Amino acid sequence: MVQHEQKGRGLALTLQWKRCVVHKKTVLAAAPVMIGALALSSCSSSKSKPASAGGGGNKPSYTIGFQGPLTGPNAQLGINIDNAVKLAVAQANAKGDLPFTLKVAEADDQGDPAKGPTAAQQLIGNSNVMGVVGPTFSGATKAAQPLFTQANLASVSASATNSSLTDPANGFKTFFRIVPPDSTQGTAAADYMAKALKAKSVYLIDDKSDYGVGLCGNIKTQLTADGVNVVSDSVAAGTNDYSAAATKVANSGTQAMYYCGYYADAAPLAKALKNTPYTGKTLSGDGSNDPKFISLAGSAGEGWQFTCPCLSAAASTDPTTQQFVKDYTASANQPPGTYSPEGFDVANTLITVMKPLGTNVTRGAVVTGLRSVDFKGLTKQIKFQPNGEVTEKSIFVYQVKNGQITEVGTVDKLIAS
Amino acid sequence: MSQVGGLPVRVKRSRKVDPRLVRLFGWLVLGALLRLMTVTTEGTATDHTLVLDAAFKSTALIWWLLGAVAVWALTELWRARKVGSLVSDRTAGARKQWRTVSDRKLTRQLAVLALVLAALIIPNLMSEFYQRVLVDQVAVFVLLAVGLNVVVGWSGLLDLGYIAFFAIGAYTTAYFTGSLPVTPGFRLNPFVILPIAVIVCLIAGLLLGAPTLRLRGDYLAIVTLGFHEIVQLFLVNKNNWTGGNQGVSKPIPHFSINIFGIHYQWTLDSMPYWYLFMGMLAIVVFLFARLEHSKVGRSWTAIREDEVAAAASGVPTVKYKLMAFSIGASTSGLAGVLYGSRLGYINPASFPVVLSITVLSYVIFGGMGAIIGVIAGAALLTFLPAVFQEQNLVRQEDIPMWIGAILVVMMLFRPQGLIPSRRRRRELRLAQQGIADADAMSEAPEGRQ
Amino acid sequence: MCLSQHFWQFLIPGITLGCLYALIAIGYTLVYGVLQLINFAHSEVFMTGGFAGLFLVQALVTTGVTPHGTESVLYVVLGICCGAIFGGIVAFLLERVAYRPLRRRNAPRLIYLITAIGASLFLFNLAGKLFGRDKVNVPELYTNGVVFTVFGAQVRVQQIIIVCTALGMMLMLDAVVNRTKLGAGIRAVAQDSQTASLMGVNINRVISQTFVIGGLLGGAAGFLFGTYLNVHYQMGFLPGIKAFAAAVLGGIGNIRGAMIGGLLLGIVESLSQSCMSSQWIDVVAFVVLILVLMFRPTGILGQRLGRAA
Repeated sequence: MVQHEQKGRGLALTLQWKRCVVHKKTVLAAAPVMIGALALSSCSSSKSKPASAGGGGNKPSYTIGFQGPLTGPNAQLGINIDNAVKLAVAQANAKGDLPFTLKVAEADDQGDPAKGPTAAQQLIGNSNVMGVVGPTFSGATKAAQPLFTQANLASVSASATNSSLTDPANGFKTFFRIVPPDSTQGTAAADYMAKALKAKSVYLIDDKSDYGVGLCGNIKTQLTADGVNVVSDSVAAGTNDYSAAATKVANSGTQAMYYCGYYADAAPLAKALKNTPYTGKTLSGDGSNDPKFISLAGSAGEGWQFTCPCLSAAASTDPTTQQFVKDYTASANQPPGTYSPEGFDVANTLITVMKPLGTNVTRGAVVTGLRSVDFKGLTKQIKFQPNGEVTEKSIFVYQVKNGQITEVGTVDKLIAS
Repeated sequence: MSQVGGLPVRVKRSRKVDPRLVRLFGWLVLGALLRLMTVTTEGTATDHTLVLDAAFKSTALIWWLLGAVAVWALTELWRARKVGSLVSDRTAGARKQWRTVSDRKLTRQLAVLALVLAALIIPNLMSEFYQRVLVDQVAVFVLLAVGLNVVVGWSGLLDLGYIAFFAIGAYTTAYFTGSLPVTPGFRLNPFVILPIAVIVCLIAGLLLGAPTLRLRGDYLAIVTLGFHEIVQLFLVNKNNWTGGNQGVSKPIPHFSINIFGIHYQWTLDSMPYWYLFMGMLAIVVFLFARLEHSKVGRSWTAIREDEVAAAASGVPTVKYKLMAFSIGASTSGLAGVLYGSRLGYINPASFPVVLSITVLSYVIFGGMGAIIGVIAGAALLTFLPAVFQEQNLVRQEDIPMWIGAILVVMMLFRPQGLIPSRRRRRELRLAQQGIADADAMSEAPEGRQ
Repeated sequence: MCLSQHFWQFLIPGITLGCLYALIAIGYTLVYGVLQLINFAHSEVFMTGGFAGLFLVQALVTTGVTPHGTESVLYVVLGICCGAIFGGIVAFLLERVAYRPLRRRNAPRLIYLITAIGASLFLFNLAGKLFGRDKVNVPELYTNGVVFTVFGAQVRVQQIIIVCTALGMMLMLDAVVNRTKLGAGIRAVAQDSQTASLMGVNINRVISQTFVIGGLLGGAAGFLFGTYLNVHYQMGFLPGIKAFAAAVLGGIGNIRGAMIGGLLLGIVESLSQSCMSSQWIDVVAFVVLILVLMFRPTGILGQRLGRAA
């Protein structure tokens, strides 16, 4: 509270100052000085602190960075991961067997590609940051990754699923991710609709986003290969009125509809669809697999299915995962959301790599370590291919039942049964 | 209630409320509002009183209100003692002296020189994060604001689609460097693209301005807003041309020089780009400064001050308005080239509609019509949020709220801006007396068919 | 060809949306009539109405239970009233705090516009800060069943409620403007504010009243829009611009024009969807706006400022 007050006083003073200044030339002379002073005062604070100054006695201190949206319209996904990272670091520090103390540094990119590089620079500029969890979104990853590669700083994403990110042509040498790309999910989703749901015709809607277009493209390719009739449409994310799009779905007479986009738009679509006589199956991808979908869509969300490369922590019966749910809920004041377990795994992977390096952790060593890591996480066995993709790639299906997201099973099993 | 000519007239009962109390109330409301705006809690959809509770059910509110009362007391004291006029009387001599000094050409040149030196030296002392902020935010927006100043400040038009031209410039760069899904078959150096982008934006500006500038000036605002939306949707929807929301398919190459045996390649480093931006800014500012005092600049002034009179005196108003509009557009396109090449990656989300309004607020904050004011305004308002971000003082997404508040407060209390141009200040004063217009918002006298 | 195939299925949502546009467009047109000002912040009046109605309804309805019968009617009416009242309050405050000081010192129109934009930016971001930036679902107030079918197109309870309320409010407004003293004041100021003031019309009061009337309609539309789609801090932006386009289409300053323009724009927007991909839906309104400005800037009914119709 005291802090707020001081800030407020400062603001009031500035306002007063602005009003008093009348002369053009005074400001002319004052402006660069003021900017300079501000810059100097702030760069001193962002300069790296000596490594030994960390809190844990004589142990050196290292930092794990997090980049993703902490504010803005897609903040929830970033917060889910950020909380998990904080939890993993707190647990590692509490165990006491680390040769160093760990800290977390957050860089907020709002999920916006334009803000990606600045956020990345914030982490790169902090010389204590040895590895980064993130970026959360594919677009921001594309924009920020050249900087990470230049700084030789490993960035391990828990959620950026765009297929082209691991394309060697990009030269993203320090990029890793523990979720399979959209192409895997797309193929699995298409097979699920064609073989498990036995749909003869499918209506695809993408949200024009990086993620949505990529996912729907992959689904379409595989559906066509499976001999299914495909109708495609696009509605840009953030559209207010989905009634026209829903009318088109209903008129198409297809047996299934798959929406490639995020929950904020899947929910209004669900509501609009409920107002039409459409009777087919309704599905969406990992971007919509969030409890907020249910709160937003209300009863219209009932029966929707989601394909997701993610593990739903709440639905799991595994004791370690249940422990994670308990710990997470206690530390974050909310239950783990989509990609929380993955974020937890990424942070622990980084810690696993850093631990044997002892007190000589360097950015380069972390990148090298990640290439050979083999670590049993909550969600999967984490092992990377040379291009940074994770080796294990299972896709889960979830369904909304009685206002809860419940696990149906993995796609492979569902097709076999 | 009595009737005059069939219309209701209420005889005003004079209820005396002390104006001082009214002002106290105003300050208290302002204090509470500021408390609400500065609270760092973020609301949720489920608990809609969360932020209100955080803001008002805390002791900090009392401090804010006490602060408001203190400010009120001070201002009342100021009023009662007439400190304002006292101070202005006492300092009259000094101010006159200052004005004669500051009006001297030498003083001005020295000030500009100091500014240039500061711009060249100070960034070197900053951390990499701030260097990046200086290039990606400050330099880009200063350039944009200087361009928008021509449209809003000098010709008095309101352009809310300004960032659309910025996007066009950036995407032109992406196209000619072969970074889009459609390629021209050859690749150009960004330096070569600069004039191309300027011309493309000039033409786009002419095409949009020609039909709309004949109408009432305020239609231009809404049409340009619509134009921005259309450009954005086009970029998003035409995947096979623009890459859609996925953005450019290959990174846009950096600037490079490769002539007369000189090789230089700009890289991810910030400082070389800073010098490049400053060079461009210097050129643009020089050209605009010449323009301001040319026939064109005087015509803009004439249109602003009284459009009908200007038209009657033979100034082709539509032509000059169109000229201002497209000059602004091409500056925006120029900035787009630099921005696109600097970042290497662009997508439609880099050019949201609200950005046009943001640039507008920089121009207004600094002082419409004064290049130096506009530069200062844009620099301050882009640098400060970065400091706030670095120090975690203000939440990122609250910044548009503050910008909105700044716009309203400036318009209400200091419409001429931080460092106004003298001419603008005079115009606004004349407008208050009902003599001049101070904008080009009325119907073009030679316009409407 | 594409039009004829599912004409009715697209027409019904078009009419629904058109009625909402019309309600908002009236707010723009009224203010434009008396002040010759595009009130950019009107979209925030609309947004406020949405949130106000939402909160009232959230407080009244127990989660998970869909009310029916008289309860439903009561909740809908209360929601509309709450939205309208708060819309009116915000519009009133806007005029008082932001516009009146400008009018008092005879500020140029550029200053008005910038103030309006600033106020709009401030208001919707403040709402985002206070109530979160996620879309919010309005609890279901009635079972949204099919009432009847026209040529294969289903007409649902929700659509009937929206259309009836909107038409009712528009008829009331028409009567107010044409038959009452208040309306006479508005018309007088719109025709010639100086003369009106010489004739003894209290201009400030009339302008305040105009803002409040526009706010009432806009706020009510906000709540209806919320029940139809979602409530969101940025929900005002696009409908606001589209409604402005509708006002221009009908002839700005002309109240009946705004009604017709809104309805027409909603229908055009919806029908155009049957012929092209949904991704272009937001372009339609702007294209209509630009075409109208190019070929008939006075709109369909003409800018009959202050006339009865």
